[in-house]
Amino acid sequence: MSLPAFLAALDELALAASTAFAAADDAASLESARVEFLGAKSGRLKAVQQGMSAVGGADRPAAGKRFNEVKQQIQAAFQEAQDRAGSGRAGVVRDRDFDPTVPGRPFRLGRLHPITQTIEELKDIMGRLGFTVALGPEIEDEWHNFEALNIPADHPARDPLENFYLASALAGSPSASLSASLSASLSASLSASPAASPSASLGSGEPATGSRTGPAPLLLRSQTSTVQVRVMESREPPVRIISLGRVYRPDTADATHYPMFHQMEGLLVDRRVTMADLKSVLRLFAASYLGSDVHIRFRPSFFPFTEPSVEVDMSWKDRWIEFGGAGMVDPNVLRSVGYDPEVYTGFAFGLGVERLCMRRHGITDIRELYKNDVRFLEQF
Amino acid sequence: MLVSWNWLNDYVALDMTPAELSHRLMMAGLNHESTTAVAGDFCVDLEITSNRPDCLGHIGIAREVSVLWKRGLCIPAATPAASAVPVAGLAAVAIEAPTLCPRYVARVIRGCRIGASPEWLASRLRTVGVAVINNVVDITNYVLLECGQPLHAFDLARLRQRRIVVRETRANEPFLAIDHKTYVLPAGMCVIADAERPVAVGGVMGGADTEVTPSTTELLIEAADFLPRSIRATARSLNLHSPSSYRFERGVDPEAIDWASRRCCELILELAGGELAAGSIDVGPAAPGQPTSGSATGGATGGATGGGTGSGTGTATGSGPSTGMATAAGRAPVTLRWSQLARILGIEIPADEAARILTALGNRETARDAHCVTVIPPSWRRDLSREIDLVEEVARIHGYEAIPEDVQVPMAPSHRTDEDRVLRRVRELLAAAGFDEAMTVSVVREELSKAFSPWTLAEPLVSGTPILRGADRLRRSLVPSLLEARRINESLANPIAELFETAAIYLPREGVLPEEKWALGMVSGRDFPAVKGVIEALLHALCPTAAFTVAGTDQPLFHPDRACQLLLNGQTLGYLGELSAPGLRQFELRAATVAAELDLRVIARAAELVRKFTPLSPFPAITRDLNLVVDEAIRWNSLSTAVQAAGGAWLEAVEYRETYRDPAKDGPRKKRLLLSLVLRSPDRTLTSEEADAVRDAVVAACHSQLGATLLA
Repeated sequence: MSLPAFLAALDELALAASTAFAAADDAASLESARVEFLGAKSGRLKAVQQGMSAVGGADRPAAGKRFNEVKQQIQAAFQEAQDRAGSGRAGVVRDRDFDPTVPGRPFRLGRLHPITQTIEELKDIMGRLGFTVALGPEIEDEWHNFEALNIPADHPARDPLENFYLASALAGSPSASLSASLSASLSASLSASPAASPSASLGSGEPATGSRTGPAPLLLRSQTSTVQVRVMESREPPVRIISLGRVYRPDTADATHYPMFHQMEGLLVDRRVTMADLKSVLRLFAASYLGSDVHIRFRPSFFPFTEPSVEVDMSWKDRWIEFGGAGMVDPNVLRSVGYDPEVYTGFAFGLGVERLCMRRHGITDIRELYKNDVRFLEQF
Repeated sequence: MLVSWNWLNDYVALDMTPAELSHRLMMAGLNHESTTAVAGDFCVDLEITSNRPDCLGHIGIAREVSVLWKRGLCIPAATPAASAVPVAGLAAVAIEAPTLCPRYVARVIRGCRIGASPEWLASRLRTVGVAVINNVVDITNYVLLECGQPLHAFDLARLRQRRIVVRETRANEPFLAIDHKTYVLPAGMCVIADAERPVAVGGVMGGADTEVTPSTTELLIEAADFLPRSIRATARSLNLHSPSSYRFERGVDPEAIDWASRRCCELILELAGGELAAGSIDVGPAAPGQPTSGSATGGATGGATGGGTGSGTGTATGSGPSTGMATAAGRAPVTLRWSQLARILGIEIPADEAARILTALGNRETARDAHCVTVIPPSWRRDLSREIDLVEEVARIHGYEAIPEDVQVPMAPSHRTDEDRVLRRVRELLAAAGFDEAMTVSVVREELSKAFSPWTLAEPLVSGTPILRGADRLRRSLVPSLLEARRINESLANPIAELFETAAIYLPREGVLPEEKWALGMVSGRDFPAVKGVIEALLHALCPTAAFTVAGTDQPLFHPDRACQLLLNGQTLGYLGELSAPGLRQFELRAATVAAELDLRVIARAAELVRKFTPLSPFPAITRDLNLVVDEAIRWNSLSTAVQAAGGAWLEAVEYRETYRDPAKDGPRKKRLLLSLVLRSPDRTLTSEEADAVRDAVVAACHSQLGATLLA
């Protein structure tokens, strides 16, 4: 057989096979086509292959090469037909070009703010320790923000420039001029009489606002201890609460300061509450938060509403890290809410949520927390 | 407070290492900032809390060391030798503002020679970072840092009429300060004046005209006390903060004023020579033996206190600079019951140890028995006036390390409030709906405050000082802050900025604290129906049986038609709308934006946190689709109401599909509302005929009530 004749026979075979496989529309017809073209004993491909021996020796390689191409072509056509007819698994049509590496259709889950996540963690831990969350207003009167907390009228913490007083509620002209603030602070100082001391208003719920003439000054709370006062005013011990929320202090915004931030404060008032209870509760808190064996260290400090007052450190990875402030509730505070300090004692502690949150997540600039860039929010 | 190791060693033997010293002081209340080696000395930086002005001098620190290490405390007696010339003839002092300046002690030295300080003094000042000027000025600074009492040296010859008048400023008095800047002083400040003009801002800054110069030979040494609040206001107002003002703001030891004056004169005589006039001028309502009026001129009634201060070197442990003072400021005794130590601290501290600590700190024990001790606190510790103050003193010196951290604290129940649960669910659901939680500042700029205030017409509360970048209006809505956050994200080319926030908004009320409404704000790039769908999903999850409806609203920020008020059980739940074109422009937003704000307390009131099981029909539902042509004026809610009413007991749900308009086929002002009826019986599978009958009844009702026609 001449080479051209052999090649022509191959081409004819390839065309016939692809037509037959394409036409096969069920398993039976596909099988008969398979036997006709690819049958091992008497298939047409086998027959053509046998004709190759008649091709002249010099043409043999070319004939063999072409034969193999056609053979693969016919086998591929059969495979495709088999896929289409589902003869591999009954009733299943293959989809060999499906690309599982293509990303899924976007399904967007939002994220909770890292401050919220930290607060929820703190609430969970303190809840397990028996502390219930208490809420209170962010705009406060001077009684709850200062006087009931043993911060008398001439205390530097009450300086109008150290707080966000509300202009509309300030008595007299809300002028921000230096001389006005000077005379305002002086007159506040000079009018500070014993009658203004917290103990003078023992047991009374809202003495400060009720007894004043003119509009009572209001301010954005500078601490969440205000909530503790409100809770204690409203019920008898035992009190075991945490208060959480936004507080405001006139700090210039930089990497570690922001004029608005979040505090968590805890309060436990009952009979026979001691500083050993405080230390033990804080150790349980620290162990829950850091998840390992920790210790608590007290360093003496000063806060108007606690005495003794301490700075609290917790040991973490072989070093002391600052936790926050704490102490035993000052007897003047207990008296100001109508509790008898001879009967009850209590402890209080407070910490800045931002600092914990930033350490937890490795955030180095507090301002990132309030920029609300979704690329930031999506990291948590 | 910067402390020189060598200097401190003058008053108490330092046989520990600087590290041991700073650690122990830190554990006793003096927080350690740093220790640096400075030319043969150590500078130890200690943080002093505002209740401990007694530690704003080396002697105060030395006293703490002496108590902690049970060492003796050695304080100079300050006994300068005086001449026979009485001070009264050389100068005069009048206090016209006794409230602002309760005491003024003046001494006069004549014939001194101004020059350089000796090296021992200069090096100590350099260690603690104080500039070295000349011997007299250096000595005033030295004594300040020794005992915490600020001093000032005037060139007496330059004081007009050799007079000191302590008075309030008159309006706009010019004053040339020692920094050679002229300050215009507002009325009401406490100034030290001579017969004609202010020569110092009391307790804050001296004046250039009367400062000590190389040619000075006559000195008036001022040691005074000033009202802390006045000093604070003045220093703040002039932005002049000095070591002196810092100490006066916190209060100085009233009984160390005269000691400081004598100590200063003693050192001047030693280092600059001269002759000290006999006695002192000691005036003011707080001066010993002084009548309440301090306005008598030149009253040298303080008399000669230069001598008679007991032992020459004053080595008594626990004694202060005021050792031997003729007056006691009438401190009330304080009693500590021993039982209070255990009651507060939770540990037992032996009575002997507690008594030792109190005495070593300078408290004078007046009575003691098995139950309690009574002491008179020292003049330099005005923070000690109550039993609890003594408890703290004993505790901090005894050491808080002794308090255990593993006592059994009783268990107690705690619960999450319903509001807290609702808030948590709301946040989780919104996150699931693809919203990121934002946190924005509670206070906004005026134009933002005005942009959206659906809850109140009352003017917003205003902070006296802006909180951040001009923001001083307490916000009445979260939406403007969130729109700003959305703009920031747009400017960063963040493709998606779906944001929500839960926070208080502040609605003013007359005469009482404002209402702090607990709000949920949302901003979205999705369209109105998508955001409404999220709100509906939220309500469906939390308040499934509450009636959710909408009503018209007129918010300038919103598109006039694509906006509504939201109601839950007839109460205002909130507002939802697409921003109008001017609204977008105001916030410089490019992409279409939908905003909403909800009152979370309304949701909390209607919330069913613990749902009840409803029995389910075991039979399949059958649906019928309707395509009704109605007038444009017919709203979905009226059609839906008609369908509900006509649907009968099997109607499980009416599902909105879409709205379609084809004016060519249906005519103008017509629309097609496509909906599905879901029908199900509790006791059997409905037949096709039964479903068709319901559909026909619904179609008939819609036709008769709303003129709707079924499109076949």
